[in-house]
Amino acid sequence: MESIRVLLVDDENDFRRTVAKRLTKRGMDIRQATGGEECLNILKKDPVDVVVLDLKMPGMDGMETLHHIKNSCPGTEVIMLTGHATTRDGVDGIKAGAFDYLSKPIELEHLAGKIRQAFEKRTREDEKQKEKDFRARMEQQMIATERLASLGTLAAGVAHEINNPLAIIKESAGWMKSILQKKELAQMPRRGDFEMALGKIENGVERARRITHQLLGSVKQTDATLSKVDLKELVEETMVLHQKEADQKGVQLLETIDPGKNVIWSDPYKLRQVLINILSNAVHATDAGGKITVTAETSEDHATLTISDSGRGIPGEHLKKIFEPFFSTKPTGEGTGLGLFVTRSIIDKLGGEIEVESRVGQGTQFSVKLPKHPDVKCNSNKGSYKGQNDERA
Amino acid sequence: MVRIPTRVLLVDDEEDFVEMLSLRLKEAGEQVSTAYSGKACLDILAQDHIDVVILDIRMPGMDGMETLGEIKKRFPLVEVIMLTGHGSAETAVDGMKLGAFDYLMKPADFEELTHKLQGARRRKDEQEERIRQAEARLLMRKSGGTF
Ligand SMILES: Nc1ncnc2c1ncn2[C@@H]1O[C@H](COP(=O)(O)OP(=O)(O)O)[C@@H](O)[C@H]1O
Ligand SMILES: [Mg+2]
Repeated sequence: MESIRVLLVDDENDFRRTVAKRLTKRGMDIRQATGGEECLNILKKDPVDVVVLDLKMPGMDGMETLHHIKNSCPGTEVIMLTGHATTRDGVDGIKAGAFDYLSKPIELEHLAGKIRQAFEKRTREDEKQKEKDFRARMEQQMIATERLASLGTLAAGVAHEINNPLAIIKESAGWMKSILQKKELAQMPRRGDFEMALGKIENGVERARRITHQLLGSVKQTDATLSKVDLKELVEETMVLHQKEADQKGVQLLETIDPGKNVIWSDPYKLRQVLINILSNAVHATDAGGKITVTAETSEDHATLTISDSGRGIPGEHLKKIFEPFFSTKPTGEGTGLGLFVTRSIIDKLGGEIEVESRVGQGTQFSVKLPKHPDVKCNSNKGSYKGQNDERA
Repeated sequence: MVRIPTRVLLVDDEEDFVEMLSLRLKEAGEQVSTAYSGKACLDILAQDHIDVVILDIRMPGMDGMETLGEIKKRFPLVEVIMLTGHGSAETAVDGMKLGAFDYLMKPADFEELTHKLQGARRRKDEQEERIRQAEARLLMRKSGGTF
């Protein structure tokens, strides 16, 4: 156990030294001060657990010192030493925040006991404070998660409603286009203009459709089935999808995962979406001559996939925002800003974690940590996971 | 060769959508009827010859799934293509188990839709052809018995 740090404050040198010696023998870590000012100076530099404070001292007296201590380090416990038969002062001390008081002449055993009690109180309070901080932090996180979840539900609802009018726009434009292709309209004036504008409508619809589908993909959970996933196979499969774009850009795609060793229970479709999102960002961010590497590591109950690119990196002020919905640095029409938002909500649901490290001009690294046997969180808005636990060959 | 139009029944509570998609399908040479509810859909099926139903799964009242079940029970030869919202793949799978031919997500790609329409039509033709042959065999055996 750590020894209790005690500061003895008394102007009577002999008395103070004797007490110090005897408390040291009992395993306490003793510091000494001859007056109030010195006491406060010491505390400023190096905090202690308990201060034993004489009431009657020249210069700054005990009472004043006590006020200062309670002001500047409220967690420190103070035991007052009062002159004989001056209980009045002791009571005032307790009112001002002292732990207790003892009347001189003191019995050493008694003092040592009081110091221990004061220390225990301090530790208890520390723990309480820590618990309180922890709870406050958790609450904040919960609020943030819930806000995101309800935002997600709302967004999914909106997205769904938008799909119907989108379908109407799309069919109308498509119909007009097919009419324009009729023979009897071959000579129609400014036909090209109409076709051009209809093309723009169709592109616009396609863009909106991409957004709504990505949003719906993130929140509206389909009943996922968990199955065995070999991460190497999954990564290979996903890399194939990006090979063409990478080749065109002159970017190398590498994978160094041991075959057969990184197998987890998860949702292969959702995981693939995660990989696609991260890999496509990496390909976008990397220029000719660059490299993207995927590695995997397995511990007893987790597997971690790491996707590193030697691309342009993410500046500090963006790093906080990349997981927010609609944050994108890509030109309008190219980025939706939903990729990483969706990615994170999927990983959340799979019971995993995602982390990112990045250096501007050097590259970015995403690591995705997944449980080998997820106990998948139920989705707040309907939808749950059905785990298939019969592991038959 | 003259293409025989597919007789399509388009069912969705979104009237504008039904109107525009049916115009487009007609433009592409199909023969299209429309219904705005599951019940209206079943009424039409009871009266007219229909090859393929394009059915929105999300409808108020008698919903798409229920309608699908009823179609397959009463008109087993009619093929059904479902229109689903995104992210409801499980509904799509349930629908296929109930006997739907395929599904598409809204807003659907027209090429894909016509492609699936042809597939559904082909399956229905083949099915009807098999039934005709079976009936013919049955007839032969019967007449064989009286021989
Ligand atoms: N590997 C990466 N390297 C550099 N920037 C990245 C990388 N991955 C993500 N980003 C940044 O994060 C932003 C958000 O990504 P994302 O949510 O996938 O949306 P989008 O790709 O549509 O922009 C990107 O626009 C980009 O600025
Ligand atoms: Mg992206």
